[in-house]
Parts: sequence; C-alpha cells; structure tokens
Amino acid sequence: MDNIIEVKNITFEYEDSDQKDTVLKDFSLNIKRGSFTVILGHNGSGKSTLAKLLNGLYKVTDGEILVDGISTSDEEHEIEIKRRVGLVFQNPDNQLVASIVEEDVAFGPENLGHAPDVIRAEVDEALKSVGMYEFRKSTPHRLSGGQKQRIAIAGIIAMKPDCIVLDEPTAMLDPKGRAEIISTIKKLNRENGITIVLITHFMEEAVDADRVIVMDSGKIVADSTPKDIFSNIKLLKEVGLDVPQTTELLYRLKSGGMNITTDVISIEESAQKIYDAIHLEEI
Amino acid sequence: MSILEVKNLTHTYDGNTPFMNDAVKDVSFSVKKGEIIGIIGHTGSGKSTLVQHLNGLLKATSGEVLLDGKNIWDDPKKIRLVRSRVGLVFQYPEYQLFEDTVYKDIAFGPKNMGLSDDEIAHRISEICELVGIKAEYLEKSPFDLSGGEKRRVAIAGVMAMQPEIIVFDEPVAGLDPRGRADVIKMIYDYSNKYGATVLIISHNMEDMALIADKLIVMNKGELALFDTTENVFKQHEFLKDIGLNVPMVTQVMLALKEKGLSVPDDIFTVDRAVDYLLTLSKGGNHNA
Amino acid sequence: MLKDITFGQYYENDSFVHKLDPRTKMLLLIAVIVFIFVSQNAVALSLVALLILFSVLLSKVPLKMYFKNLKAVFPIIIFTMIINLFYNASGDVLVSFWKLSITTGSLYRAFYMAARILLLIIASAELTYTTTPNDLTDAIEKLLSPLKFIGLKNAVHTLAMMMTIALRFIPTLIEETQKIMNAQKARGADLESGKLIDRIKALIPILIPLLISSVRRAYELAEAMECRCYNGGEGRQRMKQLKYHSNDFIAFAVVVVVCATVVAVNMIL
Repeated sequence: MDNIIEVKNITFEYEDSDQKDTVLKDFSLNIKRGSFTVILGHNGSGKSTLAKLLNGLYKVTDGEILVDGISTSDEEHEIEIKRRVGLVFQNPDNQLVASIVEEDVAFGPENLGHAPDVIRAEVDEALKSVGMYEFRKSTPHRLSGGQKQRIAIAGIIAMKPDCIVLDEPTAMLDPKGRAEIISTIKKLNRENGITIVLITHFMEEAVDADRVIVMDSGKIVADSTPKDIFSNIKLLKEVGLDVPQTTELLYRLKSGGMNITTDVISIEESAQKIYDAIHLEEI
Repeated sequence: MSILEVKNLTHTYDGNTPFMNDAVKDVSFSVKKGEIIGIIGHTGSGKSTLVQHLNGLLKATSGEVLLDGKNIWDDPKKIRLVRSRVGLVFQYPEYQLFEDTVYKDIAFGPKNMGLSDDEIAHRISEICELVGIKAEYLEKSPFDLSGGEKRRVAIAGVMAMQPEIIVFDEPVAGLDPRGRADVIKMIYDYSNKYGATVLIISHNMEDMALIADKLIVMNKGELALFDTTENVFKQHEFLKDIGLNVPMVTQVMLALKEKGLSVPDDIFTVDRAVDYLLTLSKGGNHNA
Repeated sequence: MLKDITFGQYYENDSFVHKLDPRTKMLLLIAVIVFIFVSQNAVALSLVALLILFSVLLSKVPLKMYFKNLKAVFPIIIFTMIINLFYNASGDVLVSFWKLSITTGSLYRAFYMAARILLLIIASAELTYTTTPNDLTDAIEKLLSPLKFIGLKNAVHTLAMMMTIALRFIPTLIEETQKIMNAQKARGADLESGKLIDRIKALIPILIPLLISSVRRAYELAEAMECRCYNGGEGRQRMKQLKYHSNDFIAFAVVVVVCATVVAVNMIL
C-alpha cells in the first residue's frame, strides 16, 4: 500500500493580530491508501487544525503536505486536492448549502463542472451509499442530526474523493446518530475503498480502525493498532480522552490485581475476558 | 410533600407546522424536594417538550403543573416568578451568552428578578465559588473563554437565580471528559448546597447511574417508567425494547450472568462492579 | 409564534402546478400581480381571483396551509381596510363621527384593497408552496442571465448563491431565535410587557447571541463550501436543467387569455 497523504515536518501557526500561536510544530504523518485511521485527542490537541491542513483549507507555515504527491500549497491544484480529500465537519447544519437534500449533495459535483447527467448519477450513488436515497427530496431541516450528517458525507462522496477526513462528526449527535455515522464510515472504507481519517475523542469509535493515533498538544503521543493503544489506558486518561466504561472496568480490575488485559471494548469481549480471568484463578 | 407535580400533562403540536416537534401524552409524576431525577428517552420522545412546561415556557394542551401544590398558571402574570423558582438550562446554553463580561452575563437572571446590586454581587460570588469560576474571569468577555468554561458560565447564570428546582437539557452534550466531569460536579454541588431539586435530560446512562436518584423514562411522548434508578435499570429488557441501554458496566454484568457467573443485576457503577468482581475472584482464588 | 410562519416553505406534491417550470411560475406570478393592480373594478378582479383560485385548487396544496399563512398577515389586511374605510369619501355616507365618515364608496374600496392584498399573498404563497426554494433561485438566475451580457455575470451568480443560502438557513435561524428567546425567558427576561424602549432593550439578549451564532455559522459554511470545491461559481454546472414543457405553454396561454379579458373588462366597464 502506498501513501495517499504525506505530512512532512510541518509547522502551523495561527496569526492573530499581535500574537502567534503555534499549533503544530515539526509534525509528520503518513496515511496509507485505503486505510482507516482514527486520530484521538481532546479539544485543543491540534487535531482539528490538522484536518483542515490535510485538504489545503489551511496552508502550512512550514514543511509540506503531499496528497498523491501534489503539495497542498500548490495553488494550481487547489480544487483537485479538495476533491481528492473531502472534509466533513462537526456541525451538520453548517455544512449543508441547499434546502433540498439531492440539490445539496449535487453542490460539489456542480462546482467541479460535471455534466448534468453525470452529476445526477453521482448524487444518486452517493445518497445510496450513505442510505439516504429515499430522503433525496426532503429538506435537511426536517432530518435528524445523524441523517443530516450522512447527507454531509454524501455531499463529499459525490465528488468521488480518494480520502475522507471527518472532524468529530459525531460530537453533536445522540447515540443513535453516532452509531449511524460510524457504521456509514466503516462501510465506505470497506466497500468503496475510501481512505478514512476519523478524528474523535470517543475511544470506542476507534475499535475497528487499522491504526489509532493519539494526539496531545500538537504532538503524536501514540501511534499503533487499537488493541495496543487500548492496553495503555493510563496514557489515554492522561490526555483527557473518553474511556468507555468497559475499558475502565477492565483497567481497574487489572489494577486491583486481576490477571487481565484491557485491549477490548465491546461488552461481549469484556465479559469474556473477565469470565476467563475469574475462572482461571478458580482453577 | 412533593415540590413539583405534573398531572395528566398533554401537549399536542399542530400537525401542520413545518417544524418537527415531539408531543407529550398524559404524563403524570411528582418530585420531592432535593431529589435528582434523570429523564431518559430517544430524541423525539417528548423530553424537551415536557421540561419546557415545568417553568411555563410552554402551556399544556391539557393537564397541569403544580409547584408547591399550586398550578403555575394560576396567575399568568406571575409566570416570571415561576421561572425564577424553576430554572431551565437549555442544550448548548453557551449560545445564550450575550454580555460583554462574565459578571454581567451571570447577573442577567438575578437582575430580571429585581434583586438589589448588593444581593446580585453576593449571589455571584457565592455561585462562582461553588462552581469554580475564578474571580479574575468575571471581568473577561465570555466569548474569550473555552467551550467548557462558557458552558459553566452559562449554567452559573441560571444557578445565580437560586432556583429551588433546576432543569437541565443535556448539560454535557458536546463536552470532552474533563468538561463533562466539571459540569456534573457543579450540578451535584448546587443541589447539595441549596437542597435544590434537579431534573436532567441525558443520553448518558453512565452519568445517570452516578447522579440520579430516580429516572423518568419517556417513550413516544408517554411516561413509560418512573422509579428509582436501580429499579429502572433492572428493567433492562424493557429498556432495550424501546431502544435504550443500561450503563455499559451493567451490560457487562448481565453478559457475565449469562455465561453462568453468579452476579447480581443491580450493579450500575464501575466502583461497585470492581468491588464485586475483585471479591469474587479473590474469593475463588485461595492463594490470594 | 415564530413557528407559525409557513411562508417560503415548500409543500411536497406532484400537481400540475408543481411540475411547471419555475420560470413559468415566476413570470406568471409577476403577470398576475401586475393584473391584480391593473384590474380597476370588481369584475376584473374577480376574474384574476378565479384564476388564482383555480390554480390553488390545481396545486393540491391543502387550503389550510394558505389560511395559516393569511393569519400572519391578517393585521395588515385589517389595517389597510381601516385606512381605506376613512380615506375615500365618495358615495352615500353610512356612518360619520368626528371628522371621519364611512361611505359606500369607501366601504367598497376597503374590501377591494383587502381583496387585492389577499390575492397577492395567496398567489405568492402558491409559488413558494409549489416550487422548491432552489428552483426559485434557479429561475431567478436564469431569468436574470441576460444581465451577464452587460458584464454582471458574477453578480447574477452571487445573488443566486446568496438566495440559496438564505433560504437554506431561514428555518434554522427561526428555530434558533425561538431557542434563544426561550433560554432568555427562562432567565427571567421579560419580552412581552413594558414600554417600547424596554421592549427594544429586551431584544439585545436575543439579537447578540443570534448575531454571534450567525457569524459562526457563516464562517463554518464558507469553509465547508470551500471544501466542496466552490470557487465563486467559476465553471459551475447545474444538475437540474430547466426545460419548458407543453404544460408551461398551456399555463402561459390560460394566463394570457385571462389577462386579456381583464384588460377588456377594464375598458368596457
């Protein structure tokens, strides 16, 4: 697998009126094509800035980000880079442009100047892939948060991106909406082969990722498989992440002397681990 | 004696309004002074509509809300007095901040109650101490604060009115773990200090297990359950049927039970689960 | 309450009127509005009224929706009626007090003006009920497109984009306003009583949060649009292409006939 995104020693500074704020410094990261990467970090860890840098919405102060070998600072390819790396934001309300679902989804392809019948096909396909085709004539305003967010994702998919970066797409949703979005993302990765970079502070959303990166104060503090990362609960808590109760329970049982690992999250697996641990001791 | 009583409250929205709303059907319950009540249910189950009746922001289609035994609409002119006795903190309350300093913003509610400047100053310093807003923050602009801080200031703005009952609509939505813990603590401390009654709408069963004495379960506009947190969570089958979950730790315990381990089904917090499981494992392990 | 304003809300259906090209509907609405004012007598106005009524029935939008809309403008209609009731003095005097008097002429005029406003609102509402805001915007963009030949290409696109966004966010902002109002009311804000100056002051706690959140929304939306390859409309194509069908010509024909009759009635009576 080759890299779709290469972040090379970048620095990013916000320039406020009088003070400079360095968010990222000498930061490097590669994203493999077709992979599902989760970036965990609490508010202010620099992860949202990173998201906006990946498609050239923000420009690096120093260093370079390559998307398929093209620099995000290359103004000539600005549009093409945004097409290849789609960005989905936290608040679904503020990323929908049109008041009819299908017309909103068409916005991207329309900007790209595709032919009307091509746009039609792209829109229908995108809506089907997020399971919102039957709502194509509805108005976003009447949909639930999870549905609106799926429309926002469809709006990106309609541009046929190679990679989608999602910046806390579930933060404003209820549990049902969250589940909808996470399963949609997984499906897009598995079935459509789209590279996914999911930025979140909910640890359980990282369970099925290929790779988990933990960020804190603009730095990568851990970068490994979910299993590996989850066994290091202490670190996750230190950087202020949401640790699900299952993991918390395993962690504390372990601290209390039970012979158990903390690398699972699901209810079933956790129960199995505890059951095994208790039984092993009994035998 | 119950401080708040809701009797056969029904609220129907005109079916033709273009905005989706959740109706409430024949809901009755009563709340005692100092209780912390959780309200759980799906989006659209009527929770938000229900709580807006408690301080008279919405008027019931039928049924009534009694505060200290008196219908809050007995004298419609005094509805603002009701609103100072029943505080309501909306979802994402930081979006209602508007003054140029934190102090002035917190003072908005008390000022509307017609309190003297001295009394307002006293209340603000009291509430800020309680919820951990530092004195130097008071002269800052609320818009310069972080998300979590804004939320605390907005909540303090309602608490400074010292309502006897305070209602929260998803007070921790969108916050990170640190922010969440801060807000939960602040609600708990307020209730403790003033003996206030608290109602909290939340999706987070884990938080509910920690803080709520009783739970109201709303389903399709109806009150499906109203009982102690323990008794509600014991009905995990029913909750599952209407699309709600018990806390994750309880689900783990239930899964263990299914595997044949003898564990009780009334464990709703990690603390209790850890205690129980460690005792169980050490009890079985003779070397320990 | 704010929630009751249904103006500008599309009612999904599949009627003859819905299927007309939005440009047709817009041009016909303009024609109808002009002829509401061109009509100089009750007969002519009745003709226009019949046309509007006919199209309303064709639109298969529940009449309730229209009534609801009218409720909101009812005060304006009453106000116009009262003004007209005392304004025109021709005809027999019916009632008179102080310096004012109501005559048969002014009574007629009051109802006539009320009918005009009523028809105006019903006709405009029909357009918004049967046409998606986006179709409307497309129609405006297309109808104004001749302007690009005089160097206003960007202006036309920008206007259309602004309208699209405005229409998309109006319901969101109405809901938000309601939410903020409720939140401030819960903090004891008094929005319903007091002197005018107090009431204006009472709006500050609502307007400032609304303004701040709108700016934030605008900022986020701009970023989201940029992420969807928006480039100021340069090289932009549309998924939906507008096309006139036979129905459009029928509609044009009917309206032209009615309008011609109105002109004739005006001249004869």
